[in-house]
Amino acid sequence: MNSITLGKVLKRRPFSPLVTRLVTTLATPLVIEEADGTLLLATEGERAVTCYPVTVQGELIGRVYGDEKASLLASLLSYHAEIELERKHLGNETLHKYREITLLYETADKIPFCMEPREIASFLLEQLRQVITFTSATVLLQDKETGLLEVLLAEGNEYRPGARLEPEGIMGAVWASGKGEIVNDAATDPRFVNRPTTVSSLMCAPLHSKESRIGIVMLTSATQRVYLAEDLKLFTTLASQAAVQMENAALYLQLKAAFYTMVYTLAETIEKRDPYTGNHTKRVMEYSLALGRTLNLSDEQLQRLELAAVLHDIGKIGVRDDILLKQSKLTEDEFQQIMRHPVFGEEIISRIPQLSDIIPGVKHHHERFDGRGYPDGLSGAQIDITARIIAVADSFDAMTTDRPYRKGFPFEEAFEELRKNAGTQFDPEIVEAFFASDVMDAYFTANARLA
Amino acid sequence: MPKILVVDDEPHIRYLLELTLEELEEEGVEVITADNGQAALEIIRDEEPALVFLDVMMPKMSGFDVCNAVKNELELGDVYIVLLTAKGQEFDKQRGQEVGADLYMTKPFNPDDVLAKAREVLKR
Ligand SMILES: [Fe+2]
Repeated sequence: MNSITLGKVLKRRPFSPLVTRLVTTLATPLVIEEADGTLLLATEGERAVTCYPVTVQGELIGRVYGDEKASLLASLLSYHAEIELERKHLGNETLHKYREITLLYETADKIPFCMEPREIASFLLEQLRQVITFTSATVLLQDKETGLLEVLLAEGNEYRPGARLEPEGIMGAVWASGKGEIVNDAATDPRFVNRPTTVSSLMCAPLHSKESRIGIVMLTSATQRVYLAEDLKLFTTLASQAAVQMENAALYLQLKAAFYTMVYTLAETIEKRDPYTGNHTKRVMEYSLALGRTLNLSDEQLQRLELAAVLHDIGKIGVRDDILLKQSKLTEDEFQQIMRHPVFGEEIISRIPQLSDIIPGVKHHHERFDGRGYPDGLSGAQIDITARIIAVADSFDAMTTDRPYRKGFPFEEAFEELRKNAGTQFDPEIVEAFFASDVMDAYFTANARLA
Repeated sequence: MPKILVVDDEPHIRYLLELTLEELEEEGVEVITADNGQAALEIIRDEEPALVFLDVMMPKMSGFDVCNAVKNELELGDVYIVLLTAKGQEFDKQRGQEVGADLYMTKPFNPDDVLAKAREVLKR
């Protein structure tokens, strides 16, 4: 079908004033209409019965009525429409190129922010979908130990992430050669392996990082398609970008793991000063994460929550041993000293730029929902969500574990205490989340075992 | 009928933008073109298009000048102006802000982005 109408051809400058002039010069009754009969132009005078078709590539796009001069006009319009159509094809091709180029720029800009291999793979497929038509896609990474290809991400087919495949068939050939392939008629390829998902045409490209081949990507179409060499070229380029990023991400993840280990070690070192709190930090972190998940926090928030929970009491490093470890009742002055630990914590953490976003969680874990906490007397939503969560987790653990001067409460009493203080000390929504969280599951399982 | 104005001194860029926006024409949007700043300014004043794609680098009257005249002299704040700059070319973002541009896009542009932006602006 021609995606061009005579109306549009007539409207385009500088052609349209030319036609107007020509019609005036011909000085004869003329009518121009669209293929569907819509009137485009009519001069004064009686409408002639002779009709001359305007066609593009043999297809009718309009009619001119008039005497033999009208035939000249019809030919001219046909000729110009032909050029217009050609121009449109070229234009659309250029736009497709534009789409590809901007896609490459975009990928280069965006990809550094993706850090998990799955995220990178999913970004790759999203990009590919904009320029290549396919119904199913699989991203596979080599498992270094077994040499098998492990499914990282699969869309539109039967593969499950984590499944390990023998490198066989077309996939195996691409994996072995490291060269991408187009198979437009899969059924006739002797290497093709039939699987539950219908595949008529496919393209397969290696994931090449700087030095090595780390996996492959397969795109398939359920209906027959003609993939072109330039499709494969673009596909391979985008796949390589993703591969390089996956390698960078692996390095980043190693670094991140080292950073977390450091943070945990730091927290443990502090905890060792006070032997009675044994594992308090770890439990506060676990309770906090359970609450955070129940409250549907984002991954980014959960990460902040985890680090803030681990480091919430780091400021105690600045409280003298004889006060921190004192077993008898604290004097008012000593209590004031202890109450400074959130601010000490802030001071310590603010020196580590990578941790600046956990400051609210650390500094405000002793604020109260009703504004009567310390150090800033914030209330309600002024207190960062991570701090409100840690407050609940911290109090609950403090209540249920033994201290030098008292035994821990039974869980039931601690539950009661949380409920009683919801809306005053604690954010009621977080207390509610507490009773819906995994913490309760653990409690029920423990009880069931006792019974 | 909402209008979109495309301004660029290069005919092929004008044509590619028109082609990109063709879909909208079928929905009743009128796409007008201009090949220089002065003509663009007149069209904006007379026809008040909802959206203008405006090339920055044009001889005589630049896109910055046109934008400044529209936003700060004619005070047509409702006209949404997208400045078009060439990729790799220095683009003075501060200048863009001063003249009141709403957005800038680089050429070659992504047709999907252009179309999405146009739909978004027209919906307002
Ligand atoms: Fe504390």
